[in-house]
Amino acid sequence: MSYDTVVVGAGLAGLTAALRLSERGQRVLVVARGVGATHLAPATVDVLGYLGDTQVASPAASVPVLISSSPNHPYAHVPAEQLETSLEWFCTKTAALGYAGNLDENLLLPTALGVPKPSALAPRSMSGGDLRAGGRFVFVGLKGFKDFHPTLIADNLNHARLPNPIEARALELVPPSSRRGDLSGRVIAGGFDTEDLIDWLAGALEDRVDPDERIGVPAVLGLRSGDATWQELEKRLQRKVFEVATLPPSVPGIRLSDVLSSALRTAGARIVLGVRAVGARAKGGRIEAVEVVNATGTVSYPVSSVVLASGGFASGGLELDSFGATRETVFGLPLIGLPNTDRVRFAPHYFDAQPLATAGVATDDQLRPVDASGSPVYENLHAAGAILGGATPWKEKSGTGTSVATGYAAAEAILTPAPTPVSEAVR
Amino acid sequence: MNVLRSLPWTPLASASLEHCSDAALRGFSTILVERRDLADGTTGRFHGLLHSGGRYAVKDPSAARECIAENRILRVTAADCVEDTGGLFVSTPWDDPEYGDQFLEGCRATGVPAEEIPVAEALRREPRVNPGIRRAFLVPDAALDPWKLVWGCARSAEEHGARILPYHRVLDLEVDGERVVGAHVRSERGGEEFRIHATVVINAAGAWAGQIAELAHCTVNVRAGMGLMIAMNHRLVHMCVNRCKRPADGDILLPLRTACVIGTTDVFVPDPDQTEIRQDDIDLLLDEGEKLVPGFRQARALHAWAGVRPLFEDTAKVAETRDVTRSHALLDHSSREGVAGFLTITGGKTTTFRLMAEAAVDAACEQLGGLRPCTTAQVPLAGSESHTLYQISHRLAAREPVPQSEEIICECELITRSGLEDTIKQRDTTSLDDIRRLLRLAMGPCQGGFCIYRAAGILHQGGQVDQAGANQTLLDFLEERWKGVHPILHGDQLRQARLDDWIFQGILDVEHLPV
Amino acid sequence: MNSLIRDSLDHCVKCTICETYCPVSQVTPLFPGPKYIGPQAERYRGAGPPADSSVDYCSGCGICTQVCPHDVKIAEINSRARAKLWEKRGVPLRNQMIARPTVIGRLGTPVAPLANWALHNRAVRGLVQSVVGIHRDAPMPSFAGRTFQSRARRHRGPAGAPAVVYFHGCGTNYYEPLVGEMVVAVLEHNGFRVIVPPQDCCGLPLQSNGNFPAARTYVRRLVDRLVPHARAGLPIVSNSTSCGLMLKREAHEILGIEDDDLKLVSESMYDLCEFLLHLHDRGELRTDFMSLPMTVPYHAPCQQRGHGIGKPALDLLALVPDLHMIELDVDCCGIAGTYGLKKEKYEISMAVGERLFKEVTATGSDLAACDSETCRWQITHGTGVKSVHPIELLYRAYGLDRRTRAGSVSPELQTARVSG
Repeated sequence: MSYDTVVVGAGLAGLTAALRLSERGQRVLVVARGVGATHLAPATVDVLGYLGDTQVASPAASVPVLISSSPNHPYAHVPAEQLETSLEWFCTKTAALGYAGNLDENLLLPTALGVPKPSALAPRSMSGGDLRAGGRFVFVGLKGFKDFHPTLIADNLNHARLPNPIEARALELVPPSSRRGDLSGRVIAGGFDTEDLIDWLAGALEDRVDPDERIGVPAVLGLRSGDATWQELEKRLQRKVFEVATLPPSVPGIRLSDVLSSALRTAGARIVLGVRAVGARAKGGRIEAVEVVNATGTVSYPVSSVVLASGGFASGGLELDSFGATRETVFGLPLIGLPNTDRVRFAPHYFDAQPLATAGVATDDQLRPVDASGSPVYENLHAAGAILGGATPWKEKSGTGTSVATGYAAAEAILTPAPTPVSEAVR
Repeated sequence: MNVLRSLPWTPLASASLEHCSDAALRGFSTILVERRDLADGTTGRFHGLLHSGGRYAVKDPSAARECIAENRILRVTAADCVEDTGGLFVSTPWDDPEYGDQFLEGCRATGVPAEEIPVAEALRREPRVNPGIRRAFLVPDAALDPWKLVWGCARSAEEHGARILPYHRVLDLEVDGERVVGAHVRSERGGEEFRIHATVVINAAGAWAGQIAELAHCTVNVRAGMGLMIAMNHRLVHMCVNRCKRPADGDILLPLRTACVIGTTDVFVPDPDQTEIRQDDIDLLLDEGEKLVPGFRQARALHAWAGVRPLFEDTAKVAETRDVTRSHALLDHSSREGVAGFLTITGGKTTTFRLMAEAAVDAACEQLGGLRPCTTAQVPLAGSESHTLYQISHRLAAREPVPQSEEIICECELITRSGLEDTIKQRDTTSLDDIRRLLRLAMGPCQGGFCIYRAAGILHQGGQVDQAGANQTLLDFLEERWKGVHPILHGDQLRQARLDDWIFQGILDVEHLPV
Repeated sequence: MNSLIRDSLDHCVKCTICETYCPVSQVTPLFPGPKYIGPQAERYRGAGPPADSSVDYCSGCGICTQVCPHDVKIAEINSRARAKLWEKRGVPLRNQMIARPTVIGRLGTPVAPLANWALHNRAVRGLVQSVVGIHRDAPMPSFAGRTFQSRARRHRGPAGAPAVVYFHGCGTNYYEPLVGEMVVAVLEHNGFRVIVPPQDCCGLPLQSNGNFPAARTYVRRLVDRLVPHARAGLPIVSNSTSCGLMLKREAHEILGIEDDDLKLVSESMYDLCEFLLHLHDRGELRTDFMSLPMTVPYHAPCQQRGHGIGKPALDLLALVPDLHMIELDVDCCGIAGTYGLKKEKYEISMAVGERLFKEVTATGSDLAACDSETCRWQITHGTGVKSVHPIELLYRAYGLDRRTRAGSVSPELQTARVSG
C-alpha cells in the first residue's frame, strides 16, 4: 500500500500526529518497534509544571517565559494559539475519557509519593484529586498491589505546601480472594472489566469514608471500563472519587493509547508494531520512501511526508554508545544539546544538571529537523515529541504537553499550506 | 578481646569479621567496630573471584598455595557463598601462548589443579569467548559472593556471642603505658560516644590500618591500591575467565550472581577514601573486555565501583602495586614497637580471609595466654550448614512453586515483600542502601527504578521511618545509586536511567518531596 | 544467534509493557508473565538445569515481542527456555504427537470417516483426554479424506504464465484442501502458474512444544524442497501465517538455524495476502470484484501480526464492493497452535479467547475471517460462527465459485459456498 504519511513511533506524539492526519483524509501508516510510552506515563497532559524551581500556576502565562529563556524549546515552534487548539482538539478526540482542565490554570494532582504535581489536563477519573481547594482526603490502597503506597501518600500530603489546608489519611483494603498475590495494575484493572470488583470496592468503602472525604484510589479502575467504573463508583458512594497514577505500567495511559489507536483504526490508518524504521530513501532533499525492517527484511514504504516521533533516550530514539557518540537512531539526524567536550561525563550528583538532558533534534517552525545552518534536512520530514531537543521534560513536567502540541503541529505543517500530491507506489 | 574494623570502613571487611567470628568461635568475648555498614568496605567491593591460585602460580607461588588451600576449605564451610563455576585461563591473540607452559608448570609446582583443554572445547563451554584464543586451561576457580560471605560471618559471630557495631567510628585507642587497653568509639548514627575495654585489639582495617595504628602510636605502611570493576547486565560467561598471562588490568571476567564482573585496575591512591573513577579506566576495562568477549562494548554495563586493596610494604619500595605480594602480613606491635595487646593483620586477599583471621587470632591467643584451637576450617558459616553450593537459579527456583503467590518487590533480584519485611526487622535498619547490601535490592538492570519506591513505601508503612525518613532514604538511595551508574552510563543503561528519571521525576516528582 | 537472542535481554528496562499485553498471564496465575519468565528469569538461567517449569505455560503467541518497544526478543527467549526445559526432562508423548501434524495427517487421511467420528465422539475424546492429555473439548478439525497435495498433482495450471510457488502447510493439506484450491484459483485468476512442490511440516509445532532437534530436521527438509524455486527467483506464498513466519524468521531466530538456503527461502516468502497486496500496489491485481454485501469481522492472528506487514487482508478486502470488514481489536484467540489442545491448558486458552469470542458474536455476523487455520477453528469452537481465510472472500468476490473454467477449479469448489 502507499501511504501519504508514515509516522515513526506509536507514543502520544506519534498517535496525535497520525490521528490528526487521518481525520483530515490522509492515508497514514504508523510503524513502531512496540507500543509507546503512553503505557508508562500517567494520562495527564502536563504542559508546563515548573520553570526552574518555581511551580507554574498558569501554563498559558509561563510558556512564553519558558520560550524566551529556552529559544530551542519545542514550544518555541508551536504558536500559542496552536498550543491551545491542539489541547482542545485532543479533548474532543478523547471525549470518552472526559479530560478536564485548561491552559490557564494547572491542576495539582497527588503523585504516588504524595507530591502535588502540576498538570494542565487530566481525565475526569483523575481530575477530582486536585489539591488546590484543600479539604479532607482518604487514599485507598489494595493489599498485594505494590505500586501504590497510600500511607506514604497521605503523610507526605499532610506535610506538603499547598494553597489551602488539607487533611489526608490512608486506608488499606484486602481484595477478594480472586485477586490476591502479586497483583499488577493491569490484572486488577482486568478484574474491574470482567468481574464485579466494583461491587466489592463500593461495599468496602461505603462505611469507612466520611461524607466530606474525597477518595483517592490507585489508577486501576478498569481498562476498557475505566471511566464507566469511576462514574459508577462516584454515583454509588455519593462522594468524589479520583484515580492516582501508579508506577508504570499506567492503566490510564493504556486507556488513552487505546482510545487514540481505536480512533486511528476507524479513520483508516494502519498501525504496525514490532518493526523498525531504519532509514530513508531520499532524493532532492525529500524522503521518497521510509525503510522498515519486518520479519523478512527491509521493505520500503513510499511516502509524501514523514513524522518522526521515536522518542528520546528512554524510547531508543536517541542512543549514546560506549565511545561517547550520540546518534538519532532512525535517520541519523543532526542533534543539539550535546556536550562541547569530546566525551560525555555525567555529573557526580543525581540531581545536578546532567549532560544530554536537552539533547534532541532542532527544528524550524514547521517542526522539520534542521542542520547546523538552520535548513531542513528533508523538506518533508517533521519531528514531534521527546525526540525534540531543547527541553528537560521530566523536570519541567512538560512531556505529554509537548507530545500533543508538537504532534498536532507537525500534522498541521503537513496538512497546510497544501497537501503534497500522493506519490505512486514504487515497489 | 576487641576486633577493630577501624576508623574507616575497612577494605577487608570480612577478614575482620572473620577475626571476630573466629575469635568468637574460640570462645573469646568479642566486639567488632565498623565505621560504616558491614560489606561496605573492600570485601563488599571485590570482584568476587574465589581464586584457585592459578593467577598467582607463576609470580607469587606462596599466595597460590594459600589460595588453593582456602579455596578447598571455603567450598565446604562457606558453601552458600560459593558457586562452582570453574575457571578458564585463555591465551587471546594479545597474549603469548608460551606463557601457558609457565602457567602449567607454576600450577604443578604449587598444587593448583590445571588442565589444558582443546580450544574447541573451551569455545563450546564459553561460546562468547574470543574465537581467536590459542590455548585454554581449566582450573578450580569459583565465584564468591562477598555480601553473603560477610553476612554469614556476621551471623556466625553473633551466634557465638560476638557483638557487632556497624556505623561506629574509632575515635582513639586507649593506651595504658605500653599496652592498648581499649578504644574510644562514636556511633555514626546516634552520635553517642563510649569506651570499650579489651585485652587485645586487632586492627583489621585494611587500607586504613595505618590510620588505626597511628592511634596507638604505631606505624603500619599500607598503601591503597584502587581497583575498578564493572558489572555487566547478565552472564556473558558462565566460568571465571582469566587471561593466561602475567596478571594485569582488566584480565578477569567472571559470573557473579546474575551479573558478570570485569576487573580490575590497580592504581595507588594517596587516600583510601578518595576513589574517583576515571573515564580512562572504564575504557580500559571495556577494551580488555572486548578482547575476551567480542561485542563486549555493546553489552550492557550496569554499574561500576572501586575497591581499595591494602598493600603492605614493610621495607623495600615497589613501583608497581601488582608487584606487592598478595600474601598477608601479621604485625605484632609488642615486638615491633613495644605496644602490647595490639595486632595488625593486613595485606592479603578475600580468598585467604579465613587464613588471615586464623593467624591473627592465634597471635591473640598467645597474648591471652594459651592457644585455643581454630575451628573455622571445619565449622560452616551460618547459612552454609547444609554444605549446598550456591546456584544461580536459587532465587528463581524458590519462586517457582507459585510464582505469583506474593508481591515481588525487586523484580530484577526476585525479592519478595516478606523477605524484605523480615530483613528490615531483623537488621533493624531504615536505610535502603543497607537493605541493598543485605538482599541485593535494586542491584539488577533497573537499578531501583521500580523497587525503591515500593521499598520506601513498605519501610514507611511498617512504621520503621516517618515520612521524612522515608523520603530521605529514597533520595539518598538515588544519589548513592547514581555514583555507581554515572561513570558507565551509555547504551541500554542510559535508556534505563532515562526511564528511571521519568519515573522518579516525571511521575513521582521526587524533587519536590517534603523532606 | 544463540547469544543474540539472549543478549536482547540487555534492552529490557523492566517497563512491563509486555505483561500488560500478555493474554495468558491475565487469565491464570500459573504463568507469571513474559517479563518475569523472559528477560528477568533468563538472568537466572546458567549452565545448569532450568529451575522454572512455569515457562511451559507461555503459549508462544509472540505478542510480547511485538509490543516491546525495546526490541527484547521475549517470546524467543521463552521459547528457548522451554526447549531447554524439555531437553532435560524429555518431551512428553502427548506433545510429541500433536507436534507432528504430518504424521497425524497421514494416519488419519486414509481412514477419514472413522477418524472424524472418533475425533468428535465424546466417549473417545474422554478416553483420549485421560490417556493422552488432549482436552476432550478442544477444537479438532476434520480430516478431508483427500489431501490437497493429491488434488494438486492432478491439477493442470495455465502453461507459460509467470510462476509462483505455493507453500500450503499441513492444515490446508489434510483438513482444508478447499482453501488450497481457492488459493490456486485466485492466483491463477491473476495470471500465475502455481507450483505446488511436495512438502512436509515446517516444524513449528515441534518448536513450540520444545523439541528443537526434530523441528530443525523438519525445517531443513522443507527448505530443501523450496530452495530450488527460491534460487530460480520465484516468490513463495503461504496462506498459513504461522508456518510462513516460521520460514521467514523463527527458524532462524528461535531454532538458531544459520543457513544460506533458509535465508534464501526466507527472503522469498510472502504471506498470501501480502503477496496479493504487492500485486495491487504494482497495479497488477485484477479488481474485477463482484459485490459482496456482507459485514464480516476480521481477526488478525498473533502470528500474522508477527510478520510486521500490517493487515493486507483488510486492504485487499476493502477493494471488494459492498463488503464491510470490521477490524477487531483483540490480541489473541487463545489456541496458539497446539497450546489450547492440552488438557491442562484448554481452560486457559478459552479464557484468553473469551474477549475475541464476545467481539465476534457482538458483530452479529455468522461469518468471521482470520488468516490462521488453528485460530479459525478456535473462533468457530468458541462462537459457533463459521470462520474463513480471507482468500475465501476474495475467491467469492472474483466470482470464481460460479465459474467453470476447465482445469482451473475443481468441481467441489463450485459448490463450496461462503455462508453469510
